[in-house]
Amino acid sequence: MWTARNPNHTIAVAVAAVAAAAFVGTYWFDPVPPGLPGLGAAEFPRLLCLVLLGLAGLLAMTPGTAPSEGDAPPLDRGAWAVFGICLLFLPALEVIGLWAAIPVFLVAAGLIWGAMPLRILLLNAAGFTLALWVIFAKLFRLTLPTGWLGAALGG
Amino acid sequence: MEGFLGGLAILIDPYVMLMVLLGTVLGIFVGALPGISGSTTIALLLPMTIAMGPIPAICFLGAIYCAANFGGSITAIMVNAPGDPSASATALEGFKMAEKGQAGLALGISAIASAIGGIVSVFVLIVAAPLLARAAYSFGPPEYFAIALFGLSMCAAIGGDSPLKNLIAAVLGLLIATVGMDLTTGIERFSFGIYELSDGIGFVPVLIGLFAVGEMLDQAAKRVGKAQIIHLDAARVPGWAEFKKCNRSIWVGSAVGTFIGVLPALGATTAALIGYNETRRWSKYKHEFGKGSIEGVAGPEAANNAAVGGSMVPTLALGIPGSATTAIILAGLIVQGVRPGPHLFTEQPTLLYAVFASMLAANLFYLVMGLSMAKLFARISLIPPAILWPSVFVLSVIGAYGPNQSMGDVLVMLVAGVVGFLFRRTGFSPAPLIMGLVLGAMVEETLKQSLIIFDDDLAGFLGRPIALTLFALTITGLLWPMVSRLLRGGRAARA
Repeated sequence: MWTARNPNHTIAVAVAAVAAAAFVGTYWFDPVPPGLPGLGAAEFPRLLCLVLLGLAGLLAMTPGTAPSEGDAPPLDRGAWAVFGICLLFLPALEVIGLWAAIPVFLVAAGLIWGAMPLRILLLNAAGFTLALWVIFAKLFRLTLPTGWLGAALGG
Repeated sequence: MEGFLGGLAILIDPYVMLMVLLGTVLGIFVGALPGISGSTTIALLLPMTIAMGPIPAICFLGAIYCAANFGGSITAIMVNAPGDPSASATALEGFKMAEKGQAGLALGISAIASAIGGIVSVFVLIVAAPLLARAAYSFGPPEYFAIALFGLSMCAAIGGDSPLKNLIAAVLGLLIATVGMDLTTGIERFSFGIYELSDGIGFVPVLIGLFAVGEMLDQAAKRVGKAQIIHLDAARVPGWAEFKKCNRSIWVGSAVGTFIGVLPALGATTAALIGYNETRRWSKYKHEFGKGSIEGVAGPEAANNAAVGGSMVPTLALGIPGSATTAIILAGLIVQGVRPGPHLFTEQPTLLYAVFASMLAANLFYLVMGLSMAKLFARISLIPPAILWPSVFVLSVIGAYGPNQSMGDVLVMLVAGVVGFLFRRTGFSPAPLIMGLVLGAMVEETLKQSLIIFDDDLAGFLGRPIALTLFALTITGLLWPMVSRLLRGGRAARA
């Protein structure tokens, strides 16, 4: 008979993998200089890894239910696209700088999100970028990434 | 008393007062936005406070914390979408009142009960925090280690799907806190030769990532349409008869909220849910619950705001966060170079009393604003998600980059955001991870110091009665759900 898979098993395996990797990682620490009293540098993280492994074991034995569609809907193309442009925001900062990347991001993310006319997204992007520029660049005088483009333009 | 008057004097400073006012407005504003909780806002605005100096910064963050709980009730009543998780109990009766055409009355009693609960808890804070701090003077590393463990064990009860997952998140937080140079040996841990990691993983990018970016990614996966307000109504001050009816529930809620708040890790959401149950238990009008009971709004609202002051007691007196939000405030204080604990009461009493005074002021501010501008704040929930969430992401990037001008921090924020997103989808709460991260250094340092004191003999803890009592409480708290399940099972089998 087919039974629904316990989602806790996957989570427990992931937690155990993190703990095991960290435990192994502690063997790459430099040795403690001789003569220092008390616990060394590796013992406490190792203890934590063992506790994590124990908790992962307990979690694997606990029955769990998969989250409802409302709580965790399957990721559609739109969701992946939003994640993708969030990721692209970083290289965009390096290339075109923050003040150019913000409006592009706001409009693109808004379009993917949906249900908003382009005109409003453009207006919001312009207004929000201007407000942020006034607050952070002029008021707080924060140095924010200008990117290659900004550097080339002397910004 | 002298210290408190000193705190009030600081509040007269126009800059500090402006920060409290700004914090209150922002707190109500974001509290009313479904999905953006007070903890998310504080995490997001933490970098901005670095330039403010300790006193205005803590006053600003404290005001947001106070006001966000109230702000959450506005959308809970108007839209049935609690702006802050702590307002979820308020939605049970508040939205029913709104459906009956009593939204204004629900908003009015919510503002008044919130303010009373908040003010009561601030007075408890003023009295209890110095007493606890004085008692803590006799604490050594073993006692602090035991308190920190107790605080972490309380994480089992906050948010998420299961206590076990909360404990896993807390231990993961402790593990992340070990990244960077070990202070006792000078040895680098988990830094993989990356220079930026040798100082450890910064609180700010992790906080922003887990709370703001994680929530944003979660919302991107759902991409729900905008909320609809069913009934717009101005707040109405309750009449004497209505107030008298709610009197008991407000005091019950205030007492429950303050008590729950003082316990490490348990915050406003737990307080509100327990406050709702207790209000119902003590009510003379139990039949009205579930149909739009005014007491059912007053009780949880008083409780969730009372938890704010309560949760500041262990945060300031011991350096152990009373809730997820105070864990972020604690991180903010540490970033400012202030280490909360008993010594703060002798070294920087002015800062402490300024916090107390600013929390009192924030409670009064949102009472006035709540009664006069609730209708305006309710409109906030109409901001379309397609505009709101991308803007939150942009603010997150600036917030993570700003303090150290480091793209590495932005990367850490993104990774923390993905972790926060995965946490939400797998039934984990990010709050215990933050508790672990904030308490990590304290747990490790005090354990190491204790072992040095005891000559590496763990049996040394047996000679410390306070630590032993706290260990016993920790073990009881962790095992209790299992024991009670077994007892229930046994009783059911006998029946």
